[in-house]
Amino acid sequence: MKIWVFALIFYFAFCARIEALKFHKTQQTERISGSAGDVLEDDPVGRLKVFVYELPSKYNKKILQKDPRCLTHMFAAEIYMHRFLLSSPVRTLNPEEADWFYTPVYTTCDLTPNGLPLPFKSPRMMRSAIQLISSNWPYWNRTEGADHFFIVPHDFGACFHYQEEKAIERGILKLLQRATLVQTFGQRNHDCLKDGSITIPPYAPPQKMQTHLIPPSTPRSIFVYFRGLFYDVGNDPEGGYYARGARASVWENFKNNPLFDISTEHPTTYYEDMQRAVFCLCPLGWAPWSPRLVEAVIFGCIPVIIADDIVLPFADAIPWEDIGVFVAEKDVPKLDTILTSIPIEEILRKQRLLANPSMKQAMLFPQPAQSRDAFHQILNGLARKLPHDKSVYLKPGEKILNWTAGPVGDLKPW
Amino acid sequence: MGSLERSKKKVQLWKKAIVHFMLCFVMGFFTGFAPTGKSLLFSNGVAISNHSSEFSPQPAEVLNPEKTQNFTSRELEETAISTAPEESRDAENLKNPKEETINNGELNPRRLVIIVTPTSKTDRLRGVLLRRLANTLKLVAQPLLWIVVEQFSDSVEVSEILRNTGIMYRHVVFKENFTDIHAEMDHQRNLALNHIEHHRLSGIVHFASLLNVYDLSFFQEIRAIEAFGTWPIAKLYANKKKVIIEGPVCDSSEVIGWHLKKMENLTDTSTATTFPIHISSFAFNSSILWDPERWGRTSSAQRTSQNALKFVKKEVLEEDTKLKGIPQEGCSKVLLWNLHILKS
Amino acid sequence: MKQLTALQHQARRSNSFRGASLPLDTSADGAIKSPATIFWLALHGLCCLISLVLGFRFSRLVFFLFFCTSSPSATINLYTALQTRLPSSITTSPPAANGTAVAVDGRSRVVVGRHGILIRPWPHPDPAEVMKAHQIIERVQREQRVQYGFKSPRTVIAITPTYVRTFQTLHLTGVMHSLMNVPYNVVWIVVEAGGTTNETAALISKSGLKTVHIGFNARMPILWEDRHKMESQMRVHALRVVREKKLDGIVVFADESNMHSMELFDEIQNVEWIGAVSVGILPHSGGSEGVELSAVSREDNDKNQNSEMPVQGPACNSSNQLVGWHTFNMLPFMERSARYVGDRAVVLPRKLEWAGFILNSRLVWKDVEDKPAWVKDLDVVGREGEDIESPMSFLEDPSAVEPLGSCGRKIMLWWLRVEARADSKFPARWIIDPPLDVTVPAKHTPWPDAPPELPTSVVKVISIPENTEKRVAKRSTRKRS
Repeated sequence: MKIWVFALIFYFAFCARIEALKFHKTQQTERISGSAGDVLEDDPVGRLKVFVYELPSKYNKKILQKDPRCLTHMFAAEIYMHRFLLSSPVRTLNPEEADWFYTPVYTTCDLTPNGLPLPFKSPRMMRSAIQLISSNWPYWNRTEGADHFFIVPHDFGACFHYQEEKAIERGILKLLQRATLVQTFGQRNHDCLKDGSITIPPYAPPQKMQTHLIPPSTPRSIFVYFRGLFYDVGNDPEGGYYARGARASVWENFKNNPLFDISTEHPTTYYEDMQRAVFCLCPLGWAPWSPRLVEAVIFGCIPVIIADDIVLPFADAIPWEDIGVFVAEKDVPKLDTILTSIPIEEILRKQRLLANPSMKQAMLFPQPAQSRDAFHQILNGLARKLPHDKSVYLKPGEKILNWTAGPVGDLKPW
Repeated sequence: MGSLERSKKKVQLWKKAIVHFMLCFVMGFFTGFAPTGKSLLFSNGVAISNHSSEFSPQPAEVLNPEKTQNFTSRELEETAISTAPEESRDAENLKNPKEETINNGELNPRRLVIIVTPTSKTDRLRGVLLRRLANTLKLVAQPLLWIVVEQFSDSVEVSEILRNTGIMYRHVVFKENFTDIHAEMDHQRNLALNHIEHHRLSGIVHFASLLNVYDLSFFQEIRAIEAFGTWPIAKLYANKKKVIIEGPVCDSSEVIGWHLKKMENLTDTSTATTFPIHISSFAFNSSILWDPERWGRTSSAQRTSQNALKFVKKEVLEEDTKLKGIPQEGCSKVLLWNLHILKS
Repeated sequence: MKQLTALQHQARRSNSFRGASLPLDTSADGAIKSPATIFWLALHGLCCLISLVLGFRFSRLVFFLFFCTSSPSATINLYTALQTRLPSSITTSPPAANGTAVAVDGRSRVVVGRHGILIRPWPHPDPAEVMKAHQIIERVQREQRVQYGFKSPRTVIAITPTYVRTFQTLHLTGVMHSLMNVPYNVVWIVVEAGGTTNETAALISKSGLKTVHIGFNARMPILWEDRHKMESQMRVHALRVVREKKLDGIVVFADESNMHSMELFDEIQNVEWIGAVSVGILPHSGGSEGVELSAVSREDNDKNQNSEMPVQGPACNSSNQLVGWHTFNMLPFMERSARYVGDRAVVLPRKLEWAGFILNSRLVWKDVEDKPAWVKDLDVVGREGEDIESPMSFLEDPSAVEPLGSCGRKIMLWWLRVEARADSKFPARWIIDPPLDVTVPAKHTPWPDAPPELPTSVVKVISIPENTEKRVAKRSTRKRS
């Protein structure tokens, strides 16, 4: 008898704990709403000063020369941000007055013939760059990187591995533990997302999108639109790993629904089609984000975000809950019910918000930069972190970083 | 002796323990065995650590089999509720389509109509006629899906026309080159059918030529088709005296005979020889494409998806018991005109 | 570790288990006796719980194996998942040696590994939801029109001359569908040659538009030249109705030979007094028996169709001011242009088709103060039955015409004149009555797939007198075998 009592007690204890946890969760996901739109309008000039380290060109320009495709792929933000900062009014040539220090290293610009980045060398390259700046300037050692920021737009940020398991195993490069990371990757409670990181949109070619714009009066005649992989047969032959099964589920449940214009084929009218769709699916792929998010916002198609615990770009400035629809991965089979039961007024409101040009501007890295664009939003994000907490400045002789931590391979010279 | 007794007692104790373990195991087994639509299966895998209450709020659902079960059964109920009325509605839909009129019926579910339109880039009138057909289709009660097929080209003409219509459409593009216009048209129709098959779209499929003009009630009528439907089609010839009406002769909605084109004409065109019925004078339930067993046909494996059109034509010809005359009152009203203006 | 051993024991012994159920209370009795037994009891309880959890996981495994197409790695994953889900004290036990590493880091809830692909058991799409979705789309489109369309659109007054003939239904239906799609108020004035007929009335009543159906007291002549003239008179006749009823809006001449793009009806909202749009001319010989398209249009076939299509309409200078007119070049067709209806030659448009002009209806009103001075009064224009070639005849100053549609660069309306021979017959209201004869009985395969052996003459040339419009659509259900 007692055993059963025991068991029951255990049982209820579990239940109770679970309830408590759930409560926590809902509280956590609630975002501070309000002045979001205004934040987008902020002008970072005058609010911060950035010192750009002068690095040998082998850390950036030479890498780019080897493979110009780096300028067009999804992680090109690291290159454009560098170019932008060099000519930006927030740049300072006097490191003494700088609020932030920027080290221009192009860590994702190492592409396979298919154009996928394989960041095997990135840790060594990054380590080498940090070694360089810490020995040539005094500023790194002052805080061990707490007032430095790095742009690491790779899938798993500064974990520097293309496979998620390996990336998690590695964790964020130990030398970057105190620095602020600007990254595309945004998965809450993930080993590769550090607290205080700035999540940015992936790079989408602004000119190309511009040329495909059609009049906003074009009637929206697609209910749900998606183009992309459902199964990544090459890398995930069994299915269920890729997109945590969510994309496969979209296909299996909705391929026979005429309202779901979903396919793996990318038509030439892809951008135009997004502009005549009401909802655009943005399910996770291998990483939780996808360039569709940017495309959906630019093209005024309500993004349906299917990626549990995603951290969205500039989430502190863009009211994602207001412009998008969030569907839990486990609710994918109910997607049709969820979408058709959204009140029409809410849909129209989301569309109106999406039509707001400042929302679109914040998603793009235009050349040359324009006010309120993604570059400025990154700077705004950095400015909002100022002033640095006094505690980040180390006492003389104090050392926190362990330069020899991490896999042996990463410690080899680059 | 004492040791023997002790060991015996120990064995007993073990047995008892095993019984308990087994019981617990079985209990757990059944607790978890409720089939879930949700896959809590592996999706929420979580590691719990000592300070999890602060940092890791989500493991919740996993560790609570009882909750899972509740959830599941609730969902199953929902399922049952959602399926039952749907089926009955479907059945109603089949029986009295006449009850739904085009304009009323806010949430009155209707059958999906799938219109397949092949286009040829050699057709000078393509753009104009696409617009005209679009104007008609835009007026048809939803749901309607328009599949327009086109050979790949740099021209955005067709895309542009289509996207300004506001109709729900699929634009299918192909790369092959054809010299024979009829072969090309058939290829295009096949592509559309493959699309329907691949997506397992369920609805009534009709091949609409760009030279067709429809009375709007036509689309309402074909929604009543269960398997196959056919109707008279009027062919109008420019600058000629004759008007040809082709199609079924019906008693009520039962097809009792046929009117046909002249045999000489059949040898003219390659399509006609294989399929003397006008391509626009029949419609069929799309499930024949992806679920032929349901219609008592051999499985789809036997036919090549290369030529779904051929399969459909064959089915239409063989299944005259399932063939329904449209409009239902004796198929005596012409609702579809086909303009003969160009040579092709 | 202990638990694991216990589990192993359990596994090993379960085979030899004989099903003897021991009384539970003996153990309970013994339990109180010593701290050792209490410890054992606690352990026992813990093991029970573990079995429970194991059982739960096992059932899921079984479920998974049965319902998802599984593979060996799935099971591996299952165990990984299983392991991580045990209470924290156990996570230290080490079977994490398999390939898929799981973050046991504490704050991460992200599971790297295989997830189930959720496929719902209930059928879909739900028809009710499909309708809801369509309502959403419709509403979104309406909202787009509100937002990007004209704020205070004027009524569109469409004028269509017609008469009962073989091609009437085909043509008039096309025009009707265009007008039905116009998102603004529409008044459709249908002028019928030879007086109004029920046939036409029945057809246009399907539109659901506000229609004015008026007769014109003359039969349609057979020569194209005379036809054009008469159609002009019919349009003027309709304009008199506009004048009398003081219809306010924009007048378009929607001919049966026209095909419209919907943008036209937006564009014409811009007109102030009189506007002109470009009309794409689609000349054809209607040749279905060897009479090919004329040389010019055959060339069109090879090139880009649109750029080569003859266009009628306003011509502008660089600052979008009217400088002249693109007229249809008739020269290539002069030798073989159709003179009468049914002539197998190219039917030509007039120099400038009426359809290319858009009028502010106030232009034909009798007394309007702000009417511009360069407009002739309607009564002055059409008086002596003279031919009004185009609305330009209303103007003292032809330069007053406002070019619309990016001045001829954008074609929003086409002209295609197709008719049957004048003596062509068709069943009244297109109701086949008496029913057609059966040429092939249904039961024995309507179409032969073997060598065709059909009666040679199976063409049904319907020879039912034209204009028997009084006949009611009665259908005989004669039984035939």
